[in-house]
Amino acid sequence: MLRKKIAVAASVATAAALAMSGCGVGGSTSSATGKTITVLVEAGGHAELQPIADEFTKATGTKVSFVELPYDGLYNRLNSEFTSGSVSFDVAALDAVWLPAFKDAVAPLDSLFTDDVKKDLFPALVNEANVGGKYIGMPVWTNSEILYYRKDLFNDPANQTAFKAKYGYDLKPPTTWQQYLDAAAFFTKDGMFGTDVKGAVETEWLAMLSQTGEKTMVVSPDGSSVSLGNANSLKALQFDDSLAKYAPPGGAQVDWAAAQNLFNQGKTAMSLFWAHEYRSIPKDAPVNGKVGVAEMIAGPGGVAGVPGAWYLSVPKAGQQQQAANDFLKFAYDHNELSAQTTLGLVARKSALAKYENQAGYENYKPLIDTLNASATIPRPATPKWQQIVDKVLVPMIQKSLQPGADDQALLNAAKEQVQSLVK
Amino acid sequence: MNGLEVRKLSSKTILWIILAAVVVLYGFPFVYMLLTSFKAPIETIAVPPRLLPSEWTVANYVSALSRSGVTASFVNSIVTATLSTAISLTLGLPAAYAVTRFRTRLGRFFIVAALVTRMVPPIVVGVPMLSIFRNLGLSDTSIALAVAHTTISLPLSIWLMSSFFEAVPSELEEAAKIDGCSRLGALWRVVIPVTSGGVAVTAIFAFLASWNEFLFALLLTAVRAQTTPVVIANFQTQFGLDWGSMTALAVVYSVPVILLTLLLQRHIVAGLTLGAVKG
Repeated sequence: MLRKKIAVAASVATAAALAMSGCGVGGSTSSATGKTITVLVEAGGHAELQPIADEFTKATGTKVSFVELPYDGLYNRLNSEFTSGSVSFDVAALDAVWLPAFKDAVAPLDSLFTDDVKKDLFPALVNEANVGGKYIGMPVWTNSEILYYRKDLFNDPANQTAFKAKYGYDLKPPTTWQQYLDAAAFFTKDGMFGTDVKGAVETEWLAMLSQTGEKTMVVSPDGSSVSLGNANSLKALQFDDSLAKYAPPGGAQVDWAAAQNLFNQGKTAMSLFWAHEYRSIPKDAPVNGKVGVAEMIAGPGGVAGVPGAWYLSVPKAGQQQQAANDFLKFAYDHNELSAQTTLGLVARKSALAKYENQAGYENYKPLIDTLNASATIPRPATPKWQQIVDKVLVPMIQKSLQPGADDQALLNAAKEQVQSLVK
Repeated sequence: MNGLEVRKLSSKTILWIILAAVVVLYGFPFVYMLLTSFKAPIETIAVPPRLLPSEWTVANYVSALSRSGVTASFVNSIVTATLSTAISLTLGLPAAYAVTRFRTRLGRFFIVAALVTRMVPPIVVGVPMLSIFRNLGLSDTSIALAVAHTTISLPLSIWLMSSFFEAVPSELEEAAKIDGCSRLGALWRVVIPVTSGGVAVTAIFAFLASWNEFLFALLLTAVRAQTTPVVIANFQTQFGLDWGSMTALAVVYSVPVILLTLLLQRHIVAGLTLGAVKG
């Protein structure tokens, strides 16, 4: 009897599933109607684009349907669809480092890059958008690491007196490598650490490399020159290592999420972190209301960060090129709408300038200053970049954090690996 | 208590300790996930981590379930897994029966070939399937995803059912034939009921293979047919990781398979022991 019941239930379930399987229940996808465009976006970026999409629909009647995917999954999906030659989306949000890899699959956007547009974007973003002589992505938001520090600790009179007595100058948010080291050393006490060291990500070390004044970020776009192993790369790696004694143990495994947690939990007094985090500090975090921000620190070559921009691109194989281009132009024109989202990320200088003096947007000025700094340069436009990061840079940084590591030898070995990847 | 009884008792104790260690090893991640889902957001990322929430809250469940697309993805997961299981059993049962009963050289080759398909990385077939389904007008549909999932579960189903069919004496079928059954009738009326435990086990494995699958779901779905594993992964973004909501949705997503396993527990145990002892 039970067996019969199970068989009947299974049959009914299968019939129902079959009836629903032809479409799925998540809503309608794009191209068939011609009045909806599909935008493929990393899950965290959806919220930044939603206000623009809402306005776009109001203005044009064209709906915008977002397909959210996790970061790694988005890259795989894009790669698969571009390889297959036909795509399921009309617009894709691409990380800056992916542009060179997908340059042949996305349409040129030269007509959108007028002089006015270029003037309102940071030079590094304009450079990054241009791959092989063509503009292939419209910046939609940008980011950079800036300095986060605990205002309450820096403003504490007892700390100020003790710091001055020990180091001979006033305690203030550090602006140079030496000041950052001093402050990190000073706050490493009573279970607290001065800073973090992020061994599992490469961007912080890349920023330090630019702070030395180095103009070749690891490798030139044509692969002819590799800066690993030179004096600047050694200085950057040694500075990164020198922070380890003022950071929580296990720095080799610390990534963005871990560093974010440590700072929000009040375990670190300072952190170099992406600008968006300022607006994302949880309300119930012990550090909420106690966080100050400043532009990125300077090395011997000056202030520098790594621009973390995302771009909107239109696939060549897309079926609604015109609507997609219209959306890109609309997104640029209405870029400031994203300032009011949770992360508040925008790309245009004018959008940042409009909010930089408003309460709650204290991170904008440091971001502007860091992106405008002369030593700030974009990551190289090589299609092998992701491989260089995963196979060479991150392992090198992690090894350098081991006690007794020979930084010069690590850099030399990394140089050879990069050369073999790009040749 | 004599020496033999003491030895038996200590063996039992050791066995229970090992068993308890294994249960903790397997169960702890789930228990930790469950407890995390009831923590306040800041507590989910506490350093060092805490086991129990200091204040119990369902805020993570509210946040996860109110997120756009979650309910639809849940329905899609059920539809896809049910369909994939049905296809897998419909094709796998006769295939396994034929291989075990006809014992031809081609049959032996077929069953090895079925196993070999399990050794092909899914990404290798993912891209061609993307093109095929698009050309067939099936992109972003549950049926396409179910077919893709069947490529994973079908070889498993054939192998599992083969071992269950092996355990059924051919005399049973012969008796059914004497009573007037055709071969298919004997399969349907005698062999499958006798191996119903095995069918339940196979169905559960096929269902789970589809329910938890991520890569094909990522590649082959977009808006309409996206399943919950992809939605769960979306809680980790480049800008941060929402542990609370992620664990809450993962807990909710685990409930149906736990219930299904409990419901069919008797059949699963029977199925797993079927053929274990040859009479």
